[in-house]
This record gives sequence, structure tokens and C-alpha cells, in this order.
Amino acid sequence: MAEEAVIPGWKRWFENIGDQVAFFSKFVRNIFTGGFEWSEFVRQCYEIGYRSMMLVGITSFIMGVVLILQLRPTLIAFGAASMLPKTLAVSFVREIGPVIIAIICAGKIASSIGAELGSMKVTEQLDAMEVSGANPHQYLVVTRILATTFMVPLLSVIGDAIGLFGGFLALNMRDSMSFRLYFTKVIGSIDFSDFIPSLVKTIFFGFAIGFVGCYKGFNSNKGTESVGIAANSAVVTASLWIFVIDAIAVQITSLLFYN
Amino acid sequence: MKMTAVKENTAIKSRPEKTGEIVIHIKGLKKSFGEKHVLKNINLDVKKGENVVILGRSGTGKSVTIQCIVGLLRQDEGEVEVFGEEVSQMNEKELKALRIKIGFLFQSGALYDSMTVRENMEFPLTRILKLDDQQEIDRRVEEALDSVGLLDAIDKLPSDLSGGMRKRAGLARTIIVNPEIILYDEPTTGLDPITSREISDLILSIQKKYKTTSLIITHDMECARIASDRVLVMSDGEYIAEGSFADLRKSNNKIVEAYFKDIS
Repeated sequence: MAEEAVIPGWKRWFENIGDQVAFFSKFVRNIFTGGFEWSEFVRQCYEIGYRSMMLVGITSFIMGVVLILQLRPTLIAFGAASMLPKTLAVSFVREIGPVIIAIICAGKIASSIGAELGSMKVTEQLDAMEVSGANPHQYLVVTRILATTFMVPLLSVIGDAIGLFGGFLALNMRDSMSFRLYFTKVIGSIDFSDFIPSLVKTIFFGFAIGFVGCYKGFNSNKGTESVGIAANSAVVTASLWIFVIDAIAVQITSLLFYN
Repeated sequence: MKMTAVKENTAIKSRPEKTGEIVIHIKGLKKSFGEKHVLKNINLDVKKGENVVILGRSGTGKSVTIQCIVGLLRQDEGEVEVFGEEVSQMNEKELKALRIKIGFLFQSGALYDSMTVRENMEFPLTRILKLDDQQEIDRRVEEALDSVGLLDAIDKLPSDLSGGMRKRAGLARTIIVNPEIILYDEPTTGLDPITSREISDLILSIQKKYKTTSLIITHDMECARIASDRVLVMSDGEYIAEGSFADLRKSNNKIVEAYFKDIS
């Protein structure tokens, strides 16, 4: 055992990757075995989805307003003021909406899952569940990861709609455009190649948020300080994963739809 | 709330008296964490129906021993057999089956803090015993809570309970699935002397009533005196003395003497 005292950084990195792969395979195995915890899943959907809606709504609304106010002078300079609804719609639905909403969810949800499971570990609740013969992965991990995987895309769609509505109000602060004309332009400028890849990547964002939150919480150390570390680390790692997934998604989408 | 005896609980079956059958067998147990050798050479046999107390200072490896028994930790060397089966050789399914027979009371009670006391009690019944008859579940929950004198707190959250109440609720959750062995990890730590004594009496009452085998980790001498059939004293990862509470009181070993110094 003595050689375990000093573990080189590269070895620890590979061990960490191995742990994450094992955690993922345990998650997949537990979806299909031993019964699904429906009541806990619904409770988590409520906690993660419904309770994040206000924050996502306000942020999306402000983003819609700000984007219109920022884009307007530039487009006017190019004589393309009529392109404002289309520019906002495409940028918001394709990129800004999903990424900003996912980052907000990483801050709110991944940290909350990391802290909750971390504190359950500190107070021996995870051990208690395990030694009682119950399956903490099935009850805690599967339900939370699936809830984030379902709820983040839903929040993203709602956020997109609120953001576009915010854009409409901002546009009418300076110019005048009817609600009908604005949304005809918005809907006309978005097609499936904008909406579907964006929705698909939010599914991965949601999965990453839930997975990272659960992994960090489950693997926190046994000390009160480690609860904070787990929460913080969950936010940082989930945010990083969102950008990595986004970069990969953009490459794939470009290859499939825009080339 | 004063409580010295366990009330009748029809949901929890009574077992035969002590049979002499060894239910926990530990031989040459060693466990290290990095450079620190926590368990150096532990040998222990616990007979069916026996109440064994392991006394020792913090950090001597008492909790590590019971975590090896229940498979939360794996030993580096040695044998840990429960009901004749080696725990470290068990697969996930076998370990789950074993854990249903072993109750574990954690130091803090380890109640699930997002659930009420009732939901905490229902959790092992619905997830482990797979009961789905709500009337039967309610009856067992109420009986288990009544056994520990906590029926009034059935709809409270763990955050609304005192330390002693949390431990009693934890104990009710442990006995509700009718385990054959109960492992107690410092059951009286952090409690006032009166509540500590109530918990110790409760441990003894549960053992007498339901003929469970108990392994109690503690450094509380009053708990050891009340609840033990046999006491083992642990120091620096090894057992240094063994016997009844009365026998150890007469020991000349300096470490053992230190434990009994303040006992009148």
C-alpha cells in the first residue's frame, strides 16, 4: 500500500477517466435493471425544470433585448435593419440560447446536485443507502441525470421563445413592427437544420450537467469542505463540457447541413 | 422522552436464543490507507445472539472493521466471513443479499434528509423488501417507530429532530427490515449522558427482544457496561484485551486501566 502515497499526476488523471467510465457504465446498467424510480424522477424534473424556469426566462428575455439593442446600429449602418428579426432568431436558436441556458443550468443545477450528493456522502447517507441493500445509483444518479437530460432541452426551447419575445419588445422600443410581422420573419428564418441540431446538442448539455453533478457529488471526500469543492468543481467541469460539446456539435452540424 | 424498553413489535420476528453459531468470523484482518496501517491483525468471532462491544480511541480502526464486515471497504489481507461467506469474494448481488440481513446504525443516524421520518422508514420496505401493500407498510412503520418511542415524529423532517431522536429514528429504520445482525457505529457519540443511556438501554432491549446479534463500536464506557456481553479493547489496529465488562475492569493493562479509571 505504501506506493499509493505519491501518485503521479498523469496516473491520477487516467484513474479519474477510468472512474468516470465506470460511473457511466453503472448509470447505463441501472437504467435498465432493478426497476425505475418514477416518483423520484418526476420530483427531480420538477426541481430541475420548473424551479429553473424563472431564472432561465429572465436571462433569456434580457439576452433577447440586449442582442437586438447591440445588433441594431450595425445592421442599420449596412442598411439591413429589416434583417434584425432573422439575425436574432438564427443566432439565438442556433447558438446563443442553448449555450447561455446550459451555462445557467450548469451554475444552478450541477452545483445543486454536486452539493446535495456531496453532503449526503459527508453525512453517510450514501453509505446508509448502500449498506441497507438499496441502490443509490438507481435512486439518486439515474433519476437526476435523466431529469437534466429531459429538462435542459425543454428549458432551452422555452428560453428561446422568451428570448425572441424579448427581442420583439426591444425592437419596438426604437422602431415599430407588428407582433405578427416580427414572428412571421422569425419563423420564416428558422428551419429544421437550425432547430433540430440545436435541440440535440441541448440533450447532450443536459446529460453533461447531470452526469458531472452526480459524479462530483458521489466522489467527494468525507469533509464539510469537500461539499463546497464538489459543487464548485461540478459547475466548472460542466461549463467546460458544454463548450466542448458545443464545439463538436458545430463541426458536425456544419458538415451535415451547411457544406 | 424517557424510554428504557422496546415495545412489542409484531412485524419483527423473534429468533431463537443464542445457539453458539458463529455469524461473524474475522481472521488476520489488515487494512491500510496509504502509509497508515489502520488494522494490523484483527481476529474476532461473534456468536449468534451475542452483544459484542469494541472499545477504542478515535482513529484506532473500529469503524474500518465494521465497514469491512458490511463490504463498504475491502481488506488488504485476512478473512472476513459473515454467515460463513467471505465478504470480499461476493459479487454485487450476493453483497446485496447479505446486506439485507445486516443492519447498520451510523454515527449520525444517516437519515435521508430530503425525506420525512415516515418516508425514511418506508424506503427500505419498498426498495429492499419490495412491499407494495400500503396498509402493511404503514403498520410496520408505525410499529418500528413505536418501538423506539418516536411515533409522534412520524411526519417530521430529520432537520427537525434532536441528535438522540435522529439516532432512534435511524435505529427504527435499521430494525424495520428485521436484520439478523446489527452493527452500531458509535451510537451514543455526541449525546448527553441521559440520552446516551436511553440509547444504550434501547440497544440492549432490541437485542433481548429480537435476538439480534450486535457489534457495537464505541468509546462510551456506560454504553459498553449496559449493552455488552463481551468487550474487546482495541489499540493501534489490534485487540489488546478481551472479556466481560467486569473482567476487564480488573485488568492490569495500562491502556485498559485508562478506560476504567473514571468508572465508579
